[in-house]
Amino acid sequence: MKVSFFETARYRAPQALPSEWPVPSGAYDPEAGARAYRDMIARLEYVEELGFDWVSVSEHHYSPRILTPAPIVSASFIAAHLKKIKIALLGPIVPQSNPVRVAEEIAMLDTLAQGRLVVGLLRGTTNEYLTYDLNPSEARERTDEGMELILRAWAEPQPFGWQGRHFQYRTVSIWPRPLQQPHPPTYALGTSRESCDFAARNHLGCGVSYGSFESVGRATRYYREQCAHYGWTPTPEQIVYRANMLLAETDDEAEAQFRQLPNQRPFTMRPGVTDALNKLDSRNIAGQSRAPIVGGALPTTFVGGPDTVVEQVRRCRDEVGAGVLDLSLHPPGSGDLDPLMRALDLFGTKVLPRIRDI
Amino acid sequence: MSAPAADFQEGHVETDGFRIRYMQAGQGAPLVHLHGAGGLRLTPAHDLLAQRFRVVAFEMPGFGLSPENTKTRSMPELASTMARAAQALGLDTFNLMGTSFGGKTALWLALQAPQRVPALVLEAPAAIRPEGTEPPSGTPEEMARRLYAHPERLPALPAVDPAVRAKTQALVQRLRGPARDADLEGKLSTLATPTLVLFGTLDRVIPPAMGRIYKDLIPGCHLVFVYDAGHSIGAERPQAFVEVAGDFFERHEAFVVSRAETVIHP
Repeated sequence: MKVSFFETARYRAPQALPSEWPVPSGAYDPEAGARAYRDMIARLEYVEELGFDWVSVSEHHYSPRILTPAPIVSASFIAAHLKKIKIALLGPIVPQSNPVRVAEEIAMLDTLAQGRLVVGLLRGTTNEYLTYDLNPSEARERTDEGMELILRAWAEPQPFGWQGRHFQYRTVSIWPRPLQQPHPPTYALGTSRESCDFAARNHLGCGVSYGSFESVGRATRYYREQCAHYGWTPTPEQIVYRANMLLAETDDEAEAQFRQLPNQRPFTMRPGVTDALNKLDSRNIAGQSRAPIVGGALPTTFVGGPDTVVEQVRRCRDEVGAGVLDLSLHPPGSGDLDPLMRALDLFGTKVLPRIRDI
Repeated sequence: MSAPAADFQEGHVETDGFRIRYMQAGQGAPLVHLHGAGGLRLTPAHDLLAQRFRVVAFEMPGFGLSPENTKTRSMPELASTMARAAQALGLDTFNLMGTSFGGKTALWLALQAPQRVPALVLEAPAAIRPEGTEPPSGTPEEMARRLYAHPERLPALPAVDPAVRAKTQALVQRLRGPARDADLEGKLSTLATPTLVLFGTLDRVIPPAMGRIYKDLIPGCHLVFVYDAGHSIGAERPQAFVEVAGDFFERHEAFVVSRAETVIHP
């Protein structure tokens, strides 16, 4: 099992913040932001020292909860400060990006980082579509087309034009191309049938997140079936599972902490907006319809002391097939760093060495 | 999707001892189309092109309703027959569009008569193929699965008369030439005609990766991928196909300069 540390920049607000999304920019404290990014690098140096394989970053907007709206910027900054660890850009929200720009940035960063980049491409969570005024009902199609264009831009040796449904270019010929050829390890992130199909068809990895082993296992099973249909078998490392982990010295302590977790949604949105988003966005797990998540609380999958967590990781490998765990130790929105550092320490010494051969 | 070819009128022209059928519609600069190995099939793209050009879609001798063609020996010969057929219709110069098999005919025609062809568009051309590539054949359903990325979205193909199929297949095998045709490829570096090569990203007859070879061989060649289309781009994504093909016929290499307007509220 490989492990990835999901870095969210851990912004610590000097005063209480409004809880509605979008969080007003005026509530942001520039000094607190600078401190968060400084601390982030110190923390990641320790993560690297503990032997994590990847550090991952994501794209989220208009909130302090995950302070990385431009993941390519976070990934570049991290890549410049750390030397060995792989940087997992998980990832640009494709439907609201310029796919050619994404292809260029990733190729450039992979080269700058001397081939240490891992890439995840995704459709994004529903609320993010408000950020750049994207019609949620077009998100799926724009994602598929954008991902295909990104792959084409990395691979095509001759200048080409693209006559798409949502994207049109007459001249594409990127420099640099990625250092890792034909492209960095790339995952289509999502549990939907469309995402798994895309990954299987294009020989990409599959990334799932937060759901129970049972529900994400349905998606990864479907992905493996589709890979077989296209005549290939993914390696364990081509399935990555992002999850929350609450690790303490003992099970009792972990359970106690778990009960104390603020059971609040990451952010709330106006009901009229939530309803409208839900109506226009449709989601599924391997073809089976599920509700969009708009500001819902995300489950914590791994809870316990080291022995229990090691067993849970073993079950995860069996039931989900994941070869990479992308972990948020301690709730992502929390700026409470002491418990995070204790969990990190504990994970590095008591869990990581024991899950290597799972 | 509306039924294609509502306004197309049938005509015939005598050339090289053949009575060549064609379908014609539209006003403006002439645009000659040479079809693929399956014969002349009008698509919604023809209708859209006819709104901007005088479109003449030939049925090449030996295909479709025409008598068996045992006379034409080679692709260059077929190309010169088609050039004379256009001449017989009074078309001294004409934009030229070739589909698949007809893409190779069109390339030969442009090489033989460069002064007559201001611009050339090749839709999924079959002039350069991986070894072992065969044209689609079989039942209409089998044909549709090869020709289209999404056959379920399109009207069913008509059944083909076995006699027509037999005579056509013999002709195609005789004329199409080798997968890599050294004679043709050796001449492509001299082709000065502005050329646009289009491939559907889901082409299941000719891999779209063949497109880059045309760019390697033809100076000033442009390559455009039509997303989510199969081999028959004009049938599957007619608006996308005609927008870029029409723009290329009108502006040649300047078609790379966008004229799209993005002002939302002036």
